[in-house]
Amino acid sequence: MKGLLSRYHPLYIRTLIYMMQANEYYPREFLAWYHRTFDFSAIEKRKHLVYTPKAVLLILFAWGSFVFSAGMSAYVAFETGVPGVISAIIGILFAPFLVPYSLFVLMLFLNALQIPVEWYIVARAKRVLKKHPAVKIAVAGSYGKTTMREILKSVLSSGKRVAAPGGSHNTPLGIAKFVEQLRGDEEVLIFEFGEYYPGDIMRLCKFVEPQWGVITGINEAHLERFKTVDRAAATIFELARYLKDKPVYVNADNELVRAHAATTHIRYDAHGAGDWQVVAAETGIEGTSIDFKHDEAVLRARSKLLGLHNVGPIAAAADIASKLGLTDEQIRLGIERTKPFDHRLQPRLDGGVVMIDDSYNGNPDGARVAIEFLRTLQGRRRWYVTPGLVEMGSRKQEVHETIGRELAQAHIEKVVLLRNSVTPYIAKGLQESDYKGEIVWFDEALAAYRALPTMTVSGDVVLIQNDWPDQYF
Amino acid sequence: MRYYGGMKSIAVIFGGRSAEHDVSIITAHIPIIETLLATREYNVWPVYISKEGKWYCDQRMNELGFFKQPDWEAQLSEMKPVSLSFTAGFEIVWPGVFGKSQKIDIVFPSMHGTFGEDGSLMGLLRMANVPFVGCDIFASAVAMDKVLTKEVVAAEGMPVVPYVWFTQAQWKADADHFRTKIKQLKAPYFVKPVHLGSSIGIAKAKTDAELENAIEVALHYDDKVLVEEAVEPLLEITLPLMGNDDVRAAQCERPLNTSELFDFNDKYLSSGKSSGVNNAYSEIPAKISEELTRQIKDLGIRVYRTLGCSGIARVDFLVNDSTKEVFVNEVNTLPGSLYHHNWKASGVSNRDLVLELIRLAQERFASQKSRTYAFKSDILKKVGGPKVQ
Repeated sequence: MKGLLSRYHPLYIRTLIYMMQANEYYPREFLAWYHRTFDFSAIEKRKHLVYTPKAVLLILFAWGSFVFSAGMSAYVAFETGVPGVISAIIGILFAPFLVPYSLFVLMLFLNALQIPVEWYIVARAKRVLKKHPAVKIAVAGSYGKTTMREILKSVLSSGKRVAAPGGSHNTPLGIAKFVEQLRGDEEVLIFEFGEYYPGDIMRLCKFVEPQWGVITGINEAHLERFKTVDRAAATIFELARYLKDKPVYVNADNELVRAHAATTHIRYDAHGAGDWQVVAAETGIEGTSIDFKHDEAVLRARSKLLGLHNVGPIAAAADIASKLGLTDEQIRLGIERTKPFDHRLQPRLDGGVVMIDDSYNGNPDGARVAIEFLRTLQGRRRWYVTPGLVEMGSRKQEVHETIGRELAQAHIEKVVLLRNSVTPYIAKGLQESDYKGEIVWFDEALAAYRALPTMTVSGDVVLIQNDWPDQYF
Repeated sequence: MRYYGGMKSIAVIFGGRSAEHDVSIITAHIPIIETLLATREYNVWPVYISKEGKWYCDQRMNELGFFKQPDWEAQLSEMKPVSLSFTAGFEIVWPGVFGKSQKIDIVFPSMHGTFGEDGSLMGLLRMANVPFVGCDIFASAVAMDKVLTKEVVAAEGMPVVPYVWFTQAQWKADADHFRTKIKQLKAPYFVKPVHLGSSIGIAKAKTDAELENAIEVALHYDDKVLVEEAVEPLLEITLPLMGNDDVRAAQCERPLNTSELFDFNDKYLSSGKSSGVNNAYSEIPAKISEELTRQIKDLGIRVYRTLGCSGIARVDFLVNDSTKEVFVNEVNTLPGSLYHHNWKASGVSNRDLVLELIRLAQERFASQKSRTYAFKSDILKKVGGPKVQ
């Protein structure tokens, strides 16, 4: 009943526009959210609607649509012989259900209008890129793209002028905007390719025309869009198909990548990449140190990145760098400059407590490596905080139970779970693995974040894994 | 006990007519109120006592941000002061036609200095027959008076530095007498207002002129002043303690002074962060020998028990860094921000600290309830009759 009534709250329209904004104005994602939501009250929890011109336009349209829908419903009712007052009531009752669909149609229309504009911007950027002399490296994968891009950027910057789009500029329009800012004297350009639907990567390849490729991993991310992991893999491997004989680095630590990789691809993993062999590696709160063997010389490099899963990508970056002409010393200095990126296994000290922000890491492999990293931190009380993972499709039970089992096997002392549709599976996985620690439940992320500083003591390590945006609650 | 939505009602009382009014607001919020709210086990009622002594209660004051607003005092003036009722336990009463009352199950005093930490509030709460957190009236009253503390501690054979004390009236009447007594102490001296905490009004005097000035400053804040020998070279150690009959010590902490005297600014302001006590200027655990650590902890527990402390307290020590002689300096029955940074470093989270203090309050209250305070007598019947023995 509360959910039904929430559609008649004055803030209902604002909530719809907020979620349209949160879904980056993708009408399909917006409608999917609308269909799985029953209660529209208190949706704006972590962020708030930003009043951009587009948002204001949509608000005006939505209210207009509300009035129009109410009028039309009333008119139809009246025409069928229903008395006037009751017709008006019927009109108002129906209107909130029609508004989301009218917004959906409007966004389809606006997006269609944007297509020629975007096509022009992308075509212009493509001409710039074609003339640009820089070596172009493309990074694709379900996860780990930003990490790989940043590692490559740090290592290669040691000896080359490197540019790479910041944030998550991984769509044609995002890349085109980045290209507009280029000076023209860059020696290496690194691009992150985002895959949303089949064909996306090939489209980006034809746009950027990369000479080098890195495939970081394949997993269940975006499974709700791809339906099967094989379709996701085929899309990501469009990069390899495009590059043909050119160098393609593939993450051999990932089973699905291994399965799809060709023998001609260069594998990278915890043992090394190409000519860079890893002799030893260890990790801790302060970072990761790696002993490489390259051209018979042994080279020790220290990165501030946390976790042994970074060893493979660092080795790949070292191999690419040396093939692009960087010296071993330049590469070592470049590796020293690699550091945790925003919200990805990023540590900070807070009153004696080590907080590890892994809130942008929302995929099963990311969760696995984070738990694996926690496992290596002996002698400290460890907390794992998560609302679970999103977009896991039909595999959500299996994925979350696995997380529970991994947490139990790593003997994590405290697991903090936010109550929602997936975390009970983590609890189930924990219980089935005879978990000896404590499970702490919270109804809301904000309550958990407020309580954590009151529950921890100096020396504790708190890892915050994934942070669900409002559209997934 | 009455429950509010299944939760116990707890009143956190702070502010007050004290030089440490503002520090009290910080302690109340960091960590007490923020932790109580985070537990989701208590309905928290913030009770703010203004510098004029008026009591206010509004759950908007659960946020420290309320007191950071430029117009918070204007907002306060629009609120109606509350009154208290002891008719059915401890009740906060909002006046007016639509007035209401709220029964309080537990009180968490968060007041530093006069009228709060000195036992006054504890007396009121004892009369109201409500469990309250922290030291009771007797320990609070003794600890508030630095001279009385020294006398009690010394009487039990524990070491204190030589000192002289006098009241404002005594100083006015015969300052030379006290100057002579002070001369018998070894300079330099520390001059302290006897009843103030948070190092307010404390000064170090090396010369006669500095001494006179320091006494004038101290008498400005208090009517009783203590002059004591400074320990040199000085190693300050502070030790938070918690418990009723079973007392546990946190870590020995060494304040790392930015100035020669660890004053109010060092304690609360220097870090520029609003995290309660400024923990950037302390070393936890203090880098001292195991033997000295054990000696200080044992002495701290003895002091705690001698003064009859319960709940929580902090004992400060002066250590001669050359000879390693240890002196008891003073006792603080409500350490600023509960010294939660030290407890955290000792493995006690804010949640465990606050909940344990509440448990200790309830334990002491239950023990007091079981005690017999009154007995039947026929003395009244005998008045006017046979001679009362």
